[in-house]
Order: sequence, then structure tokens, then C-alpha cells
Amino acid sequence: MSQNKRVASQNRKSQAMLDEDDEGSFTQPSASQVQRARENFTPVQVDRKVAEVVQFILIKDQKKIPIRRADIVKHVIKEYRSLYHDIIKRADRTFEQVFGLKLVEIGSKNHIYILTNKLEQSREEPISMCPANPKTGLLFVILGVIFMKGGSVKETLVWNTLKKLRVDFGEKHEEFGDVKKIITDEFVRQKYLEYVRIPHTEPLEYEFRWGQRAESEVSKLKMLQFIAELHDQEPQSWTQQYREATSAENSQR
Amino acid sequence: MSESRRRASRGSQEEAAGHGNGVGGRSRPDRSTDTGEDDEGAGPSGIHEEDDDPARRREIRSQYRDLINSVQQNREDMLNPANNKLFDVLEEANKLFANVRQAREAALDAQLLVLATDLGREKASQLHAEGSAFDPSAFAEHLLSFMGFNRLEEEEDGDAGLDGYMPPDAWHRLSKRAQHCFKTAPSFHYMFGSFLAEPPPPRQRVERQRKAPSKEAKRIMPTQLKKMEESHQEATEKEVERILGCLQSYFADDPQSPILYYEFVVDPTSFSRTVENIFHTSFLIRDGLARIYLNSNKLPCIAPVEEGELEPGGANTRHQCVVSISPASWREIIEAFDIKEALIPTPKVLSQES
Repeated sequence: MSQNKRVASQNRKSQAMLDEDDEGSFTQPSASQVQRARENFTPVQVDRKVAEVVQFILIKDQKKIPIRRADIVKHVIKEYRSLYHDIIKRADRTFEQVFGLKLVEIGSKNHIYILTNKLEQSREEPISMCPANPKTGLLFVILGVIFMKGGSVKETLVWNTLKKLRVDFGEKHEEFGDVKKIITDEFVRQKYLEYVRIPHTEPLEYEFRWGQRAESEVSKLKMLQFIAELHDQEPQSWTQQYREATSAENSQR
Repeated sequence: MSESRRRASRGSQEEAAGHGNGVGGRSRPDRSTDTGEDDEGAGPSGIHEEDDDPARRREIRSQYRDLINSVQQNREDMLNPANNKLFDVLEEANKLFANVRQAREAALDAQLLVLATDLGREKASQLHAEGSAFDPSAFAEHLLSFMGFNRLEEEEDGDAGLDGYMPPDAWHRLSKRAQHCFKTAPSFHYMFGSFLAEPPPPRQRVERQRKAPSKEAKRIMPTQLKKMEESHQEATEKEVERILGCLQSYFADDPQSPILYYEFVVDPTSFSRTVENIFHTSFLIRDGLARIYLNSNKLPCIAPVEEGELEPGGANTRHQCVVSISPASWREIIEAFDIKEALIPTPKVLSQES
């Protein structure tokens, strides 16, 4: 077990190193380089690149796994590298104006992007176009518990809560299948959740936190409103959470 | 070594005890005197004999383990703000520690203390001064109601409430409402997948090509082999019959003059044909279709066996012999018998080709 852990951490390390390598190929172009590139490529060529980036991101987003800048550069932008910032800016404009989406760079350190929906969803009108994904409910429960418990919870609390909802992480669920894998692997890779070891615990214990995607995709205020609705209380009765939710809402706008 | 370990564990205990004070007001008046004693006798050989009683130590360890177990089992229970169980556990640990003399037991005490402080921290985190506290179990109950969970009567007798009926669309119902909290970009999918429909990629084609001939080769190989065996057998039989025909016709031409064996089999133009003839003729002898005898000059002669002639002689007249021939002796025979041409004509068609 501990050996597995070690291997995993090594993998992570080598992954991190890989990322650095990838990033190494992406050096900030100098102003003169950008200038030269702008002269080298015709506007039509650049338009085409922008369209390619938009398509690449849209398709990559199907799996909801954040898209790495290194991948965009490697697979699409290629020799237009020095125009990267121009292209991404224009792609973002396309997402906003054409698709009503927003390209968000989460965690400026690792340069990964996600798409979020810019359009306000009205409560009354059901979104009939895309039927609800039951995993959203599962995610809501977990994120809700984490948020209401002040930002991080031990995994046992999550498992216990889910168990009350007839979802047992050790068993195959008829709706979700391997629940533990969805929660600790899929949701983590999608950056909805962080699943980290609590230091100095014996036996090993893990805790959950909100991932970067959740931070930019989930409205804490709306979540609190729904939770309050469930409890038949006012959202304000959880003073601390309400304060956090409203300040997050203001900063997101 | 045991001394340093003990010191280390004591250090962590003291540190942890500081934490615990805030929650349960843990105090250990007896410990300070205890440790004082310990320090005096802490040299490698300084352990008192009564302290080293294995049975006593085992008992202490077992008591500690029971205590640790019970804490781990009743975790949720101990976290309940309404009771004082955590304090009781610490009291009990204090009693146990009075008898601890050695590092192993002290380590267990430290382990328990880590567990207890952890619980204490969690208990403290429940005491949010502002607003109402959030209770995950109540949350779960509200969620169940929202999801249309149907509680049956049996559910009331407490046990985690695992009875009841969950409608199949329960999670969909929750998701539908919950997705208003998410600004998830709707993902679109192409009706025919994200790639242009093209003929299969070349890699596949290569694979198929490589596969096909190997399959065919596999299929052909055994049949080829069979044919060869068959044709070979047939060829031998045919050849034997042909030679018998030759022998019989020569015999019929002149039944009185014996046919010399060597004259019959030797082909002066080909050593290998000679060997083949010898080989095939041997079948005639074996099957009793021809016989070999020595004439007055002690030279082997060959003659076909008439039908019915074999019966009276019976098996006792049969003998075996080995005919050996080398290119040298073959040439000698040709010279000695002055053989000009083969009595057995070369077969017109090679057996392999037929």
C-alpha cells in the first residue's frame, strides 16, 4: 500500500516534470517576435488558427477535463506559437459572442483552461436541451457538504453522508457504478474536487476540498440558497457561509 | 535507545495534551511524578525488575488497544457535542498510564492521545459561534425527502435507516435542481463523432494485409503436406506395379531363361534410378509377388511368382537380406554384366508432377 503510494507520488513527480518540459517549449515571446509573427501570417491564416483552437477546445471539453495550454500549443497552434496570446484572446471572444461560453484559465500556475457557461439559467425554464446528468446531483451533495463544513471535510464524512443517500462507496451503485472511482478519480481529474492526504494520520486519511473548476463553475450563493431551501431556513442563518458565498459571487462577476 | 524514544513520545504527549486542555480540560497530575521516577531509572540496565514483568506489560498494552479500538469504533458517537465520552476516555488513559514503565506502552498511549486530540479538534470545529451549525445527517435527510424517498415504517427503529424506497429518478430529480448552481458549459457532440468519416486508417489496412496471407499459408500448408504424402505413397505403389509388369512381361517373353537380378534393376545411365529400382523391387519380394534365387553360377536371379505358387511353400521359405550398393560397385556391376541399357524403363512422368 505504502509502496503504491510511493509509486503514485513518483508518477506525479515525473508528471510535473513533464509539464515543466512542455512549458519549457513555450517561452514568452518577445515583443519583436510577436511583431514579426504578426507580419508573417496573413489575417486569414490567423483567423483559421483561431477557429481551429475554438474547435479543439470545444471537443476537448466534452470530457470536462481541463485543457492544458501545452496541449493547445502542441496540437493546434504549433508554429503560430508567438501569436499565442492573440489567438487565445480571439478564441475567448468567439466563445463569448458565439457560444455564450467563457474560457477560464484556472490556476494561473499550471496554465489549464475550462469552459464555463456565461448565460444565466432561469429557474423556471427547464433546460430540456441537455437532460440532467445524475452525477451533477452527486457532485452537488459532496460540494455542498464541503462548503457547509468550512472548506474541507474528511472523506469518511462524505462516505457517511452518501451512505445515508443509499450510495455506498464500496458497492456498485446502479446509477453511478463505481462511486469511489467517480468521486476520487473522475471528479478530481475534472478539477471539481481535490482529494488529498491529511498529513500525520495513521492509518492514512484523506480529505476533500473544492477543486479549481468548482470554484469558477459553481455558485456558492445559489448552492447555499438551495441548501437553505432544503432545510426550510433562510440562507442568512448560516452567517459564515452566507458571507463567503456573497463575497465569492461579487468577485466572480 | 528506549530512553530517547520515551522522551520523544512524552514530548508529543505534552504537546498534544496542551491541545486537549482546550477541549476537555485534560490534566495529569500523576504523570509528572511518574516521569520523574522514570528518569532516574532510565539507563539501559536501570529498568526495575517489576517494571519488566512481561505479563503486566502485555495486559497494559491490551487495555490500551481496547481503548483505542473503542474510540475508533465509536467515533461519530464521541463527536456528538451532547456527551462527555471523550473526557471519559482520557480519564481512563490517565489511569492506565500510571502503570506504564516502558516505551512500547508509552507509544500506545501517544497513539491514543493523537486520536483523542484529533477528535477534540473536530469537536471544537462544530462549535461555530456564528449562525447555525451544519449537520450533514440532517442535510442527508432533507435531500432524501427532496429526492422523493419513501420512508417505510420500519425505518423508525433507528438503524441508519437503510429501509425505504428510493425512486429510480431520484438522482435525476436532484441533478435537475442542482444544476442551477453550476455554470457548466453544455458539451456538444457530433452526431457522427468528432472525426471525419474516412476509410479505415492505413495502420488497420496493413494489419489486415499481413493477416490475410498468413491465414492462407496456414490453410494451405497442411493440405500440401497431405497431398505430398498421398502422391508419394501412390507413386511408390504405381512404380512397384509398373516394375512388376516389366518383370512379368520379360518372364512371359522367355520363361526358360532366368532374369539376372542385377541386370534387371541396374540402370547404367543413373545410379539413383538403380537405387530406386532396388527399393521398389524389394516391395515385390516382400509382398511375395516375386522371388529371388541363386542360379548355378551363384548369381541372384529374379522371377515373378505365379498365382497360387506361394501357398505350398509357406512362410518358412522366406528370408530377408540387405542389398547394398555404392556408385563404385554400381560401375563394377555394369562392367561385369556388360549392361547397355536399363531393363526397367525410366518412368515417363515424374511422380511429383502427377
